[in-house]
Amino acid sequence: MRGWDGLVSSALLGTERRPPRFEELPPKIQEQLGEGDLLDAAALATLYKRAGRKPLEGLAPIPAAPGEDRPLPRPSAIRRLAAMLTGFQTTALGEWLRAADARGWGVPPEHLPALADYARGRAEYRPLVVKAAGRRASWLADLNPDWRFLHAAVVEGNDHWTHGNPIQRRSWLRSLRQRDPAAALEALKEVWPSEPAAIRLDFLGLLADGLSSADEEFCEQALDDRSKEVRRAAAGLLARIPGSQYGERMAQRVWSHLAVSQGVIAVDLPARLTVAMERDGIESQPQEGIGKRAWWFRQLLAAAPLSTYELSYLELDVEGCAPEVLQVAWAQAAVREGSAEWARALLQANTKTGNRVAELLRILPPEEWVPAIEVLRARVDIADLVGGLPVPWPAPLGNAVLDQLAQAGTARSWARLASIAARAAPAEVLNHPITREPTGEEDTWRRRLVETLIFRREMYEELS
Amino acid sequence: MAAWDVEQVLGMAPDPASAKAAQALARGAKWSALGSSERALWGLCQGSGKKPYRTVVDLSGPAFKCSCPSRKFPCKHALSLMLLSATGEVPQSAEAAWASSWLEERATRAERAERKPGEVADPLAAQQRLARRADRVSAGMAELESWLDDQVRRGLGGFEQRGYSELSRLAARMVDAQAPGVAGAVRRAAGVVGRDHGWPGELLEELSLIHLVVSAHARLNELPPSLADTVQSRIGWTVETARVLAEGEKVEDDWLVLGRVVEPDDRLTVRRLWLRGSSTGRLALILNFAAAGRQLDPLPARPGELVPAVLSYYPGALPMRALLTQTAPRLPAQRPGGLTAKQALASYVESLAADPWNERWPLVLADVRPARNGEYWALVDETGDALEVLPGVDLWKLLAVSAGDPVTVAGEWNRAGFKPMTCWDGDRPVILS
Repeated sequence: MRGWDGLVSSALLGTERRPPRFEELPPKIQEQLGEGDLLDAAALATLYKRAGRKPLEGLAPIPAAPGEDRPLPRPSAIRRLAAMLTGFQTTALGEWLRAADARGWGVPPEHLPALADYARGRAEYRPLVVKAAGRRASWLADLNPDWRFLHAAVVEGNDHWTHGNPIQRRSWLRSLRQRDPAAALEALKEVWPSEPAAIRLDFLGLLADGLSSADEEFCEQALDDRSKEVRRAAAGLLARIPGSQYGERMAQRVWSHLAVSQGVIAVDLPARLTVAMERDGIESQPQEGIGKRAWWFRQLLAAAPLSTYELSYLELDVEGCAPEVLQVAWAQAAVREGSAEWARALLQANTKTGNRVAELLRILPPEEWVPAIEVLRARVDIADLVGGLPVPWPAPLGNAVLDQLAQAGTARSWARLASIAARAAPAEVLNHPITREPTGEEDTWRRRLVETLIFRREMYEELS
Repeated sequence: MAAWDVEQVLGMAPDPASAKAAQALARGAKWSALGSSERALWGLCQGSGKKPYRTVVDLSGPAFKCSCPSRKFPCKHALSLMLLSATGEVPQSAEAAWASSWLEERATRAERAERKPGEVADPLAAQQRLARRADRVSAGMAELESWLDDQVRRGLGGFEQRGYSELSRLAARMVDAQAPGVAGAVRRAAGVVGRDHGWPGELLEELSLIHLVVSAHARLNELPPSLADTVQSRIGWTVETARVLAEGEKVEDDWLVLGRVVEPDDRLTVRRLWLRGSSTGRLALILNFAAAGRQLDPLPARPGELVPAVLSYYPGALPMRALLTQTAPRLPAQRPGGLTAKQALASYVESLAADPWNERWPLVLADVRPARNGEYWALVDETGDALEVLPGVDLWKLLAVSAGDPVTVAGEWNRAGFKPMTCWDGDRPVILS
């Protein structure tokens, strides 16, 4: 405003040294001022300036996020989501998002910032939040670098593969792999030589989805990669391709150190680690508690296909090394191949499988879980057994565990099982009688369990 | 003889749950010893405990008394009693002794309390107190004026070093002079010193507006009464709520809750609740205070909802602050209409014309889209004009709701920018602050 700076100068220097020059001010102010002094003039000018404030011009709004929004669930469901985001029963957040998504509901957009912050440090929530964000995912990721992971939203076309950031490229490749494994392999082969090791490792891991013998040649080549991590990952993939040359090589190695005759498995531990073995991903330095040679042998055993062995070997005596070496290796192979047959046999034979009991249990068909657990709990804590099973549990298991807990009183030793069951019991059993029994006022596992079950039951009702 | 009909009684319910509970009670057989007289209704209502609750309704208020522990007011028992009376189910009878004793007690209290608002127990002493305060304020204003003149004559040049401490001392003097409003303005001026390279200009703005209060105070009697009230309130004279309720301008409407701003402080939490009348278009501010660590009163309604209420405005040239008396349960509302950036600024300027010290102004901006404004944000309206968002405001919720599409946003405007309080996702209100 005209004359304002003059007023400020006079005020700074003092009117004694620099008398104000009111004639510089706009005529309207001079008229009003009359006989007034500097502060009168400043008050008029201040209001003159404030009243004359204009809007900003020429700012470009951020382009809108394209696409459609899903309908929102009812207000009670939205309030529950908000409560979880402020720390109440937050562990059910993932379940809420999955249930809402499955029923076609959207997530109220005002909760996306809190969800994105929450998922930032929790990788398992990221895909859920990406889905929840819908058309806003990439839009928000562009605005806030902390939410880069939201770029994982799949976008049609190849732009994200050729020009995207690593997260966008990863998610492009992953989704192509799901639709067309061969095309994904071709795309990866094309860029392979020019990618840095960390990206090669990351992208190679995506081949695990839809892995087949079509990928064998590529993985074989990757065994000669510059990066040790990539080599190891390639070996891991090859071990999972049925009928691969890699499996063949491993089986041959196994048989050169192992013989079965007259009810005895005779083992001749390898004396040295060959270059070829190292190329196939066999580690030279043993883990703690096992000798070098037994360690090499165990890796060979575990990397060979299960078809190398017969189930009956489990009952044979072992000479030349501890039986444990073989059992652990077979358990490892059974988990890798997802063999229910071997898992059942290993569990029934009461073998030493390291800490793989829960993993083996997981491979059994779900209908066998309840009877298997009944047997296994004699030697393994039931919480360890069920803790490794995928969530939500099948209804019979959920009912069985809740029945058990309903009879269990309030002893501390049940707390861990209760906290697992509170999350893992499937939607169908949330109306279990335990939720209608009094829990007492004290903060016990029983009370927390029942609160969580009821919370989840209401959550499903609201989202229906 | 019924003083109210059923609708009116239900309108007095503090929330829908109470209304429902009262209707259920009025149907049931929980009541005994019902009676009514010229001035009151009473009855015993069986609750969950052994002893029934004693409920009395004083027809003159109506005023309510009930021995139940409910903190709702009126409680469901009092409502239910009035409902029974409205349907003619409360017989005339001699007053029960317990009911009479409460009524008498209330009448005596009322005699003491219901003197005319402003009138007090010992009018002479009160007058003396007022006169003493007025003297102190005048002395304080005189001191402030001569200090201001002095500074301007000698120059604010050295203020970067001495300004903050001098202004803080002066603010304390103004508290002593019982002029807390001016003290606050002086403290704000202290905060400006040295803030950035433009501080001398900002300080001059602040000081000139303080000067404006002081000189207005000097000729209070010449000002139009409403402006004089505004000046008094800027100095820090408060008007008692009883007087506001009795004499303040009354406006009845369904009030849309535009939003709220809560400012926590070391000592006192302040909540500003902004309302807009859905048929009058009047704006209003409901202030709420809570000592640090204490809870604020519950909101009469959530932002985006309507509260049917009578507002009693505090006096002033720009009636904004008001007291709210709810008359019916809150209601849901649709997305409100709003202004363009130009219209919004014009409405703020109008407020300045009435109250040149006005700092904050509620705005509803229609169909604005977020835009980057340097390192800050702005909201651009359909015509391309924009208002700056207050720096430091967490805008993520608003951004996420908008997704770049136009949204309606209610917020609080001050010179530093717009602080969004509520926005609408379609017709669904979303609370932002």
